[in-house]
Amino acid sequence: MSAESISEVMRDPVRPAAASLSEEKRTITVAVAGNPNSGKSTLINAIAGTRLHVGNWPGVTVEKKEALFEYEVKLIKLVDLPGTYSLSPYTQEEIITRDYLVHEMPDVIIDVMDATNLERNLYLTVQLLELDIPVIMALNMYDEAEKKGYTIDSNMMEEMLGVKIVPTIATRKAGLHDLLKAVVKLVDDPSSHHPKKLNYGEDIESAVSAVEKQLKDSYPSLAEKYPLRWLAFKFMEEDEHVQSELKISGDVLLIEDAVRHLKKAHEEDMESIMADARYAQAAGLTREVLKRPELRKTDLTEKIDRIALNRFLGIPLFLAAMWFMFKLTFDVSKPLGDWMNALTFGPFKRWAEALVGLIHAPAWMSSLVTDGVIAGVGSVLVFVPVIFAMMFFITFLEGSGYMARAAFVMDRAMHSIGLHGKSFIPMLLGFGCNVPAIYATRTLENQRDKALTALLIPLMSCGARLPVYVVFIGAFFPAYAGTVLWSLYVMGIALAIVMGLIFKRTLFKGEAPMFIMELPPYRLPSFKSLMIHTWEKGKHFLIKAGTYILAVSILVWFLLNLPWGVESKKDSYLGQVGQVVAPVLKPLGFGSWEAASSLMAGVIAKEIVVGTMGEIYVKKTGEEQSAVKPAFTADLIEIGTSFTTALRNSAENVFSTFGISSLSTKEDEKRSGLKSVLRTTFTPLSAYAFIVFVLLYMPCVVVAIAMRQEFGTWKWFGISFAYQMALAWLMAFVIYQGGTLLGIGG
Amino acid sequence: MGFSDIVWMGLIIAGTLYLLYRSVWKKKGHCAGCDSQSCVLKKYKM
Repeated sequence: MSAESISEVMRDPVRPAAASLSEEKRTITVAVAGNPNSGKSTLINAIAGTRLHVGNWPGVTVEKKEALFEYEVKLIKLVDLPGTYSLSPYTQEEIITRDYLVHEMPDVIIDVMDATNLERNLYLTVQLLELDIPVIMALNMYDEAEKKGYTIDSNMMEEMLGVKIVPTIATRKAGLHDLLKAVVKLVDDPSSHHPKKLNYGEDIESAVSAVEKQLKDSYPSLAEKYPLRWLAFKFMEEDEHVQSELKISGDVLLIEDAVRHLKKAHEEDMESIMADARYAQAAGLTREVLKRPELRKTDLTEKIDRIALNRFLGIPLFLAAMWFMFKLTFDVSKPLGDWMNALTFGPFKRWAEALVGLIHAPAWMSSLVTDGVIAGVGSVLVFVPVIFAMMFFITFLEGSGYMARAAFVMDRAMHSIGLHGKSFIPMLLGFGCNVPAIYATRTLENQRDKALTALLIPLMSCGARLPVYVVFIGAFFPAYAGTVLWSLYVMGIALAIVMGLIFKRTLFKGEAPMFIMELPPYRLPSFKSLMIHTWEKGKHFLIKAGTYILAVSILVWFLLNLPWGVESKKDSYLGQVGQVVAPVLKPLGFGSWEAASSLMAGVIAKEIVVGTMGEIYVKKTGEEQSAVKPAFTADLIEIGTSFTTALRNSAENVFSTFGISSLSTKEDEKRSGLKSVLRTTFTPLSAYAFIVFVLLYMPCVVVAIAMRQEFGTWKWFGISFAYQMALAWLMAFVIYQGGTLLGIGG
Repeated sequence: MGFSDIVWMGLIIAGTLYLLYRSVWKKKGHCAGCDSQSCVLKKYKM
């Protein structure tokens, strides 16, 4: 079968399920299982039109997710299970997948296979077949297998396994109708399913028959509840998870008898014997059905990897890729950021003032809206373009497969701190937001790895810190914007390694377990997919702006104006608290109450540091407003024309990043007044010390809650809080005092 | 400042604190990646 012959392309996702249907019809539950990065989430997204996160690296789905839809008058529930290589209970993904399949017993399992890695994928298939649940195999990425010159005899494979096999290309929505038809047919006519019982060899088969019989006689209720053959294998393998769950671990004598001669003959433990037997099945099947080209040509992935994974070039290339990403982020987003700034503090502010005047609101309420909400939320909103640009490039790196390489090249460095490269994946996720990164630690094998990784994740600079960097970099280092931003991210990674070394010698003694990392092929992510996932990542920034950034901006306004009628903001409640904390920050070069208050407000979310500064300095910036207010229509025309100019400048800046002088180096005089005020209160050196402090000081409240939820204790957050505060203070102190001694940027 | 001003301020502060509690502690205003990653189990019903 060729990729072209794969039946019709699914033009639109299937019809969403009407709410009323769910009551009347039986839902067909279909579990979607498969190896990591085999395209399960892409397949579900293509079928059901959902937006499950897709990334070209293993471990994107760490929890089961569901999609419900109607197909040919049937209600189908697809359950996206985390990717696993096997059903052994070692990782969280394996446990979630196995528990779901064994306890929930879905009607059908769609086993999504990466057709370019048949043998490895078949190892899981062999185990799925042991579960006695009907299996349909989706031979996914069929086009890529053909590009490699592979020929897969799917008819022979169907015959050998006794299960339906449907070639699919999920990214092109090809073969999906056939897949769903096969599911419906299987459920309508279960007798059409004749799976072959895989024979693991005489000695294993006779042993498993004996155990099956023993279990059936001694525990008839278990035999009804669980697939007996699978249960027998698990007992033979001495699977502690199953034994403790079924509470019959003490009654193992009957099993001992059955497996004793097997262990003796093979001189191995039962788990290894079973793994060998399953691999033998997978290898044998592959040999029969797969034809590889005689002379294997070197594909593009291998060519790129020779450079990207080079022992000496790997890390410099990773650092260079990061630098380039930050430079591009800055250059592309700056004109649009300037436009947002002009829009927020120009027309939006004027319209809000007019609206408040229209309803005859008291003076304090008018001030709350303009000096509180607009100054606070608006100061943060102007960074929407930079956040989206950054998320776009991160999504691109994820989708292209480079992020997995980044984890690979960092493997050696990670081993030095007692972790392995897999821990770097949650840390890389932390560049977007630390919260899902903390949750992603559940993909790691043991508690020690999880806790150590979670402690280091807050050092990865999340998107929320970006507005603070951008405002300070724009005010003090516009000519070196990309480089300064890059230095902060690299500092975060470097300090994570240093702290990891310290933790390895104190809290987490021991060596890192060995781990083989899968490197997916490079792919060019589709534009649509890039847009969807950039939006999915970036939209939460907008949600945050409308929720807790708005809430804190209002509270900060009150704290800046209470006790009521206070003459100077310095004497307000916020000012008073800021003055108490400020001396601690004095040796760091930013010992003002304004800086201290902003940092305290930033504990809720780091971008609030900018919002609070916007409110504190609002009087100083407000004076520069024009006395003549343009008409509403003039505002609209200006918004439209300035947006077009900003878009054109952004596009020009993409090219300027490639060598031609960058527009981002030109200082825009009309830029936010906040930057001008900052230039009078900070020096370049104290500004850099400040942003380093923001990078490192305590994780935000939501991260604290995530740590508590994930580990069931406040202990790790407590440690994180203590070491990060100390580290932030120390680093800012070294930078400021060291720089002052050397006479740099004072 | 009149009595109505104080009532308004009280209402705004109470509303703000509730919004903060709801969005931060109850995690209604969650963070980037939560609904596509793993913060909570999501059920997609279309």
